[in-house]
Amino acid sequence: MKKLALLLAGLLAIAAPALVLAQGYDVMPEDARILPIGQAGTPYADLELGKQGGTIYISQISNPKGWNANTAHETSTTWYTSRMNLGLVNLDHITGAIVPDLAKSWDVSEDGLTLTFHLRRGIKWSDGTPITADDVLFSYNDVVLNTDVDCNSYDGQRLPDGTFPVMTKVDDYTIEVKLSVVYRPILNSIGVPVQPKHKLAQYVHKLNPDVPAGTFNETWTLDTPVSELVGNGPWVVTDYKPDVSVTMTRNPYYYAYDPAGTQLPYYDEIVCLVVANQDVSLLKFRNKEIDVLAIRPEDLPVLMPEAGAKGYTVLVSDLPLYGTTWFMPNQDIGLADGTQNEKRELYRNVKFREALAHLIDKETMIQNVLNGLGAPQWSPLSMGSPFYAGRDYYGGPVTENNAIIFEYDPAKAAGILDSLGVVDKDGDGWRDLPSGAPLTIEINTNDNTIRSGYCLILQDDFRAVGLNATFQVIDFNTLVDKLFSSTGDIIQLGLTGGDEPNSGKNVYHSCGSLHAYRYSACDDPDEIDRRIDELLDLGASTFNLDEAFEYYVEYQQLLAKQLGYIYLVNQTFQYAYYDYVGNAGAASPTSTPGGNNGLLTELCFDKRI
Amino acid sequence: MITYIIRRTLYMIPLLLIVSLLSFTLIKIMPGDYLTAARLNPQITQETLQRQIERYGLDKPFIIQYALWLKNIIVHGDFGFSFATKQPVFRNLFEGGRLFWTIVLALSTLILTWIFAIPLGIYSATHQYKPSDHALTFFGFLGLSIPNFFLALVLLWLLVVVFHVGGRGLGVGGLYDSRFLNAPMSWAKFVNLIWHLWPAWLVIGTSGMAGLIRLMRGSLLDTLSQPYVQTARSKGLAERVVVYKHAVRNAINPLVTVLGLTLPNLVSGSIVVAIVLNLPTVGRAYFSALQQQDEPVVMGSLLFFSLFLLIGNLLADFLLAWVDPRIRYD
Repeated sequence: MKKLALLLAGLLAIAAPALVLAQGYDVMPEDARILPIGQAGTPYADLELGKQGGTIYISQISNPKGWNANTAHETSTTWYTSRMNLGLVNLDHITGAIVPDLAKSWDVSEDGLTLTFHLRRGIKWSDGTPITADDVLFSYNDVVLNTDVDCNSYDGQRLPDGTFPVMTKVDDYTIEVKLSVVYRPILNSIGVPVQPKHKLAQYVHKLNPDVPAGTFNETWTLDTPVSELVGNGPWVVTDYKPDVSVTMTRNPYYYAYDPAGTQLPYYDEIVCLVVANQDVSLLKFRNKEIDVLAIRPEDLPVLMPEAGAKGYTVLVSDLPLYGTTWFMPNQDIGLADGTQNEKRELYRNVKFREALAHLIDKETMIQNVLNGLGAPQWSPLSMGSPFYAGRDYYGGPVTENNAIIFEYDPAKAAGILDSLGVVDKDGDGWRDLPSGAPLTIEINTNDNTIRSGYCLILQDDFRAVGLNATFQVIDFNTLVDKLFSSTGDIIQLGLTGGDEPNSGKNVYHSCGSLHAYRYSACDDPDEIDRRIDELLDLGASTFNLDEAFEYYVEYQQLLAKQLGYIYLVNQTFQYAYYDYVGNAGAASPTSTPGGNNGLLTELCFDKRI
Repeated sequence: MITYIIRRTLYMIPLLLIVSLLSFTLIKIMPGDYLTAARLNPQITQETLQRQIERYGLDKPFIIQYALWLKNIIVHGDFGFSFATKQPVFRNLFEGGRLFWTIVLALSTLILTWIFAIPLGIYSATHQYKPSDHALTFFGFLGLSIPNFFLALVLLWLLVVVFHVGGRGLGVGGLYDSRFLNAPMSWAKFVNLIWHLWPAWLVIGTSGMAGLIRLMRGSLLDTLSQPYVQTARSKGLAERVVVYKHAVRNAINPLVTVLGLTLPNLVSGSIVVAIVLNLPTVGRAYFSALQQQDEPVVMGSLLFFSLFLLIGNLLADFLLAWVDPRIRYD
C-alpha cells in the first residue's frame, strides 16, 4: 500500500502539469483598481465585459533572457517581466496617460518638489505575502539606484541637476519622493517594476554582505525554477520550455477588477509559442494554432483578402504606432580627418536639407512598403503622444494645425539645389558641388526589408532630380559604428518612441549621446540648438501639462525646421486576431512596430466560453 | 588499436586550441559587440554603458580576453557565462533538452536516410542507365539543390494552405501541438511528435540522400566490375547472392567513412531547418548567440561542434578499421 502511494506520488510529480497557484482574495480588496470596461463616457466604453477562462495563444520570435524585471535589457524579456511586476504608476491601457497602478493615488506638493504616493491597502504578492512600501523602497533604492545592479532604468531617474530623487517611507502604505528640482518626467521613470523584497533582498550585496556584489544580476535567471517567481502583476510565469513556449497563468492576487466584480485578467493562461521564423508564425496563425499574430507589411496581402471569411480581423489604428523612422545627412562628415569640407558645408546648409525633405515621396513609401497602411511623420514625437504638436492642446484631437510639413515637390527641390549652386557642371548628368567637384551621396541602412524599401524610394527620388545617390545595405553593427563615429554619409534608421518628449533628450539635446546628426553642436551650438535645449528644460520643469504643451509645440516645430533627423513614415497596422478574442480590437496606443506589444492581454477574453 | 585511439584523442587538444583561437579572432574582428545595440538606447548614458563594458570584460585587449577565457577553462573548468542570460554557457546551450533533441534528430535522420539511400543506391547500380536510374538521380539532386529552409517552408505551406491540416486539429512546426505541450507523455503525444518530425526528416534527409545514393551506386558499380564477382557469377551463384552477399559488403566500405562524418554534419548543419521548423536544438541557441554576439556562448558552441566533428572523424576511422581487415592502425 505504501509502495503504491509512493509510486502514485512519484507519477503525479512527474506527470503534474503547469504550476497550480494559490487561491486568491476571498473578497475584492477595498483598494482594488477598477477598470471601467464597457462604461459609457470613459475611454473604455467600447470594450466588453468578459468571463474568466480559456487560454490565449500568441507567438514571440525569441526566448526570454531571464525573469528579473530590473535587470532585463530587451523586449523579449520585458514582455513577460512587465506583466509580472508592476510599478507605482503605469501607462493607461487605452489612453496611454500616466495613471496610478500599484499606488492608488499621488499628490504633488505646491512647490512641485515633493510627491507623495499612497499604496493600495490589502493587496498581495502572488504567493500571498502583503505588498507594502518596503517592497517599493527596496526596488527603487536598493535595486534601481544601486550601481552594482545592471539596470537600464538607472539613468532615467537622474534629475537635470545630476542628483537623484530621494524616496523615503512614511508608513507601510505611504511613500514620499523628494526632488531637488521640479521635474515632471519623473512620473514616467518612477514607475519601475516593484519586486518582492521578501524573496530578493538576500541577493543584494548592499543588504546582505554575505553575497558578493553583483549577485543580483544573476538572480532570477532562466535557471531559476519558475515556481520561485513571485509577482504583483496580472500574470505569473508558470512554465518555460526553451525554444518552445512560455506559459503565464493568472496571478490569483492581481488587484484589478472589472465593474462587474470579475477579477482580471479574463484569460486563465497565456501560452507564448517561441516561433523563430515569421513566415512560420504566419502559417501557424492561418492554421489556427495562434490566436493573435504580429504582422509584417509583407503579410498584409496574404491576410487582408481572407480576413472576414476566415474569421479574423487585421487591426488598423487611426494613428501610427510609436517610434520614428528617419534619414540623417551627417553634418559632421569628414570633420574628424579634415576632408570633404565642401560637402560638409553643404550638408550643414539647412536649405540643402530642405531640398532633400521635398524629395521624400511619403505616399509611395506608404503604398509600396506598408501596403497602404501607414501615415507620414513630421515630428520627432510619436503621433500617439498627448504632447504631439499636431494636436491643438494637450491630449486633444489631431488637427495638424501646428504641423511643419515639407511637401513632396521635386520641382521645388530642384529649384533650391539650383539656387545653391548644386548644378551639373561637367555634363555627366549629375549635380556637382558648387565648386564643380563631383557630389556623390551614399545612403546606408541595415538589412531590413522595410528600411531597404524606404531607401530605394529615396535613392530613386534623389536620382530623378540629378543627385548621384546610391543605396548600400550594410551590417547593423557597422551601421551603428558609422552613426556614432560620424563617418556615415546619409544613414537611415529608426528609434523607439514614447509619450514623453523628455525621453528624447539624449537624441535632441545638442550634447546628447544620440545627437548623431551633429555631435559637434555640443561645443558650438547655434541659436536654434540653444533654444531647443532650453525648451527641453522648460517643458520638464513644470507639472502644468498645458504649459508644458506650449513649450513642446515650439520644440517640435524647431526640430522639424532644423531637419537634423528627417522623418519618413510609420505603420498603422497592429496585429491580426481571430474574432473570438474579445476586446482585441482595442490596442494599446503605446504599441511599437513588431511584436505583440499592442495586445491588451489583461482585457482580452474568450468569446467562445 | 587502443594506443591509436588514445593518440587521436590527445591530438584533439591542440586542434581544439587552434579552433578556439581562430574562432575568438573571428568574433573579435566582427564589427560591434554584444553592447552595440544598447548604444542605440536613448535611455542609457555613457557611464552606464562603460560600467557594462567593464562588467563583461570587453574593454581588455584581445589577447588578455582570450587568455582569461582559456585560463578559466583549464584552471576552473568554467566555460564562462552567457552575456545575455547570465547562465553558464553549456547550460544555456543544452537547457530544455536541446542536446537531447539535437542528438535524437541527428540520429533519426541518419538512420532513415541510410535505410532509404543504401537500397536505392544498390537498385540504381544494378539497373544502371535504365530510366529508373536516371529518375532516382534526378530526384536525389533535386533534393540536394533546393535550399533546405525553402523546402521546409514550402512543405509547411503545403500542409497548412493546401491540405488544411489545421482543420483536422494538427499543427505545424515545433515538437508538439499546443494541447500536448504541458501534457504527460502518451501514445497520442508520441504520434504527434512523429507528425512534427517527419518534415524535418524529409528536408534534412533529401539533401543528404543524393550524395549517398550516388556514392553507393558508384562504389557498387566499381565492385561489380571486379574479377571475383565474375568468378562468383560463373560459379553459378544467383545474382541476388552475388550482389548482396559479396559485392555490397565490399562496396559499403567507403560509405562507412562517410557515416562517421555525417553525424557531426547533421548536428551543425541542421540549424536553418531547426529555425524554420521550430525544433529546439543546440544550433538554435548558437544562432541566437551569434545574432547577439554573445561571445562566451558562441565560443562554447564552436568548441562543442568542433569536438563533435573530431569525434566523428575518429569514429569514421575506427569503423573503417573494423569493417575492412586490410586496414590496421598502429
